Amino acid sequence: MGGWPVGEVIVITSGKGGVGKTTTTANLGVALAQLGMKTCLVDADIGLRNLDVVLGLENRIVYDLVDVVEGFCRLRQALIRDKRLEGLNLLPAAQTKDKTAVTPEQMRQVTDELRQEFDYILIDSPAGIEQGFKNAIAGADRAVIVATPEVASVRDADRIIGLLEAAELPPARLVVNRLRPGMVRKGDMMSVDDIVDILAIDLIGVVPEDEQIVVTTNRGEPAALTQGSRAGDAYRAIARRIRGEDVPFAEIDDRTGFLSRLRRIFGQA
Amino acid sequence: MERGRSRTDGALYVRRTLRAGQRIAHDGDVIVLGDVHAGAEIRAAGDVLVFGHLRGVVHAGALGSEQAMVCAWRLEPVQLRIGHVIARPPDAREEAPGVPEIARLEDGQVVIERALGPEDGRMARG
Repeated sequence: MGGWPVGEVIVITSGKGGVGKTTTTANLGVALAQLGMKTCLVDADIGLRNLDVVLGLENRIVYDLVDVVEGFCRLRQALIRDKRLEGLNLLPAAQTKDKTAVTPEQMRQVTDELRQEFDYILIDSPAGIEQGFKNAIAGADRAVIVATPEVASVRDADRIIGLLEAAELPPARLVVNRLRPGMVRKGDMMSVDDIVDILAIDLIGVVPEDEQIVVTTNRGEPAALTQGSRAGDAYRAIARRIRGEDVPFAEIDDRTGFLSRLRRIFGQA
Repeated sequence: MERGRSRTDGALYVRRTLRAGQRIAHDGDVIVLGDVHAGAEIRAAGDVLVFGHLRGVVHAGALGSEQAMVCAWRLEPVQLRIGHVIARPPDAREEAPGVPEIARLEDGQVVIERALGPEDGRMARG
């Protein structure tokens, strides 16, 4: 893998709500910035914004995405620079409007402008497959799918992958979130292999269930900001894989099956 | 004849995997070169052949043909319909045997049988 070119727009999406899109976006943003990448996170969940809260930047919002597309401010004015971490920026969503306040074309203009200045632009997609999802993928070069080891989540991810294929995005890559290896070993939870087998896409990372995430998310300090949490380590590994580094999958990943190894060898099933 | 009619309408080749929410309807036979995921749906006036893993919903003989059949490398549909008959896999059946199978109607009942001997079939699954 040669690594993705600079100025890349990546949408983080899932279909189902509550699987950890926003947490994943926040932590991958932190991890990419830690790698020295100029990173901009875009909250595309207009009307239900969360990303600013998870990042602890809520009290610094002056302008938002809708203000930018409506011409009330320049893009640069709406960007919030994270003071804890050089290179991390946020373009917040509006809280008062809804998804129809922005069109896919406007979204594309915003992401194209951000591309000039940043190495990575991560779009936090809203749940669902409607207007908000269409906006979120409009300007994206690639997609990262977040799924938890639950049948409903995997089914929705499958639907989303189909829609991304129809939109002619390159094959999406999968983050399995909130895995509990103990439950998998007992046969009480789908394994990473099961999920990869069903979805037939390449894995980019596995994030174990981690109570630390709940604490850090509520505090507005993404786990990846500090060392020493399992989830934070997993996000840092994913960030490096996004950059094209070949980071081995750790034991926690619970993936040794024949099928997924085949898929990795051939790139895509 | 019902069967002959569906044949003359030609087969639709689907050269990709059908994912959840995707639906194919065709006034003839449907041949899928790929998997049919759970949540996907195929509706064909004639036969349905899946060169892959069938986990979605399939309706063969959708215009009422009792002669239609469904064949898949791995036949594990959520629900199977042939003609006017609707069948779902028995709860006891945990996993398909890993060999190609054919489903057809016999005396108004859906029956499933192996399309190949077990030795041939072993190659179908890694």
